[in-house]
Amino acid sequence: MNRVAIVGAGHSKFGKRKDVNVAELAFESIKQAVTDAGIERKEIKNVVVGSAGGWYEEALPAVIVNEYAGLRSVGTMRVEAACASGSAAVKAAHDSVATGESDVALAVGVEKMTEVDTMTSVELIGRAGSYMWEFENYGMTFPAYYALYAVSYMNRFNTTEEDMARVAVKAHHYGSLNPNAQFQKEITVEKVLSSQVVAWPLKLYDACPLTDGSAAVVLANEEVAKRLTDTPVWIKGIGYSSDSANLSKRDDYVGLRASVEAGRRAYQAAKVTPREVDVATCHDCFTIAEIMAYEDLGFCEKGEGAKLVREGQTEIGGRIPVNLDGGLKAKGHPIGATGVSMMVEITKQLRGEGGSRQAPIRNGIGLVHNVGGTGHYAYVTILSRGA
Amino acid sequence: MTREEEQPTLRSRRSLTLRFDIPISRTHEFWDALGKGRFVTTRCSACGNESFPPQADCPRCMSDRFEWVDLEREARLVTYTYVQVTPASFVNDEPYIIAIGEFANGIKVLAWLEGVPVEKAKVGMKLTVEARRSSEGNPYYVFVPSLPS
Repeated sequence: MNRVAIVGAGHSKFGKRKDVNVAELAFESIKQAVTDAGIERKEIKNVVVGSAGGWYEEALPAVIVNEYAGLRSVGTMRVEAACASGSAAVKAAHDSVATGESDVALAVGVEKMTEVDTMTSVELIGRAGSYMWEFENYGMTFPAYYALYAVSYMNRFNTTEEDMARVAVKAHHYGSLNPNAQFQKEITVEKVLSSQVVAWPLKLYDACPLTDGSAAVVLANEEVAKRLTDTPVWIKGIGYSSDSANLSKRDDYVGLRASVEAGRRAYQAAKVTPREVDVATCHDCFTIAEIMAYEDLGFCEKGEGAKLVREGQTEIGGRIPVNLDGGLKAKGHPIGATGVSMMVEITKQLRGEGGSRQAPIRNGIGLVHNVGGTGHYAYVTILSRGA
Repeated sequence: MTREEEQPTLRSRRSLTLRFDIPISRTHEFWDALGKGRFVTTRCSACGNESFPPQADCPRCMSDRFEWVDLEREARLVTYTYVQVTPASFVNDEPYIIAIGEFANGIKVLAWLEGVPVEKAKVGMKLTVEARRSSEGNPYYVFVPSLPS
């Protein structure tokens, strides 16, 4: 298998993007990524597009995006792993380079979630489980899925709504430093606690917003990577796993088994331990999700996630800085773009291009944790810098 | 970029409404029984595995031979939430409690919890399954708090 490097990264402004359609939005990231890599488009033989879709007018995003970007006759597909579609796109593009099928491949994540009204988006995401047994009669919503975890977790580990609110405060702080973030204002614990309840105990400010956005990365084999750049960021290991569609079939509601398993496989593939990770993005679609992710990925023991936040251990200067781009919570969560956006963030961190939100890089190791649905899918991708 | 709300958009002329005819022929006995107030599920005739939701093919041994068994009525509340922002197709419903209950045999079921204000819901409380019928005539089930024995 060939080594695979990220040699170009692009990222659109996230938010309510009424100014662009899906192809124009994807193009913003593709252009940046191709320019950043310094390659000709004709070198790209494979384009994988991650997009959940359903809330914008185009049914075949991969060909729509490629046509607009002048990527002709490329091997292409659209992949879906719910909110982990972006990581799935990177995995598929990675594999085409790793196997030697392509020298250069492009992974694009794109989502336009605000072309339909908000309640229709809530409906479409709520159906992202087991429709017949969770939605048809019971009207599950995305916050409701995670609220079932939050109640169980709070009950088991004496964690409070205030503990969860601190995760949102941290996210908004870093979001305020990221020009691409949807939310760029600091918030307080009080503001989170007094925001509208969407699915108790989760409130509006515990939840990521509906977002339009795109991100793209150019992947290349070792030979091309060394020709193009002195700062390749290597994909050192990918782990992925899944769990039941129907939440009632899960073992418990205090962590995501898919995350634990994906993490274990990624650490093994990359031959690194959680302690060696310098910087990470964790899938914080809700505040409780970030707390569970710390534990599922081995950044702390089970039940100690909230303590990690309280002590500031996941901020710059702490043991393991997490979501320095504002996370899904403040940067925004355009479903299919999120995983690729995380790759862009960790690539920039490992290159030392984090600016005012740069984490100290000691071991040259970064981690991307991307969950699809409510732990229905999980992808963990470990990146490294250096030769 | 100018202010987001000021951008011109073209509202599509074509709308799309989706209704699905969901096949239930292999497990229709579940819905038939529920219509008569019984709560049943499938047990694999080959390996004895009980599934919920009911399924005609055993996920443990892949056998397609199964029988219907009554589920217990009493479950323990494992976790719950109170949904206050509801999906588009539930806009006419009052906020509802969604609960996961676990039966003594380990089977867990997700359903609305009715008959108790959310402040009185408690992890560990005893629940009973009750059959209901939708306004369209479709049977479904809910949890209610068990009466003190």
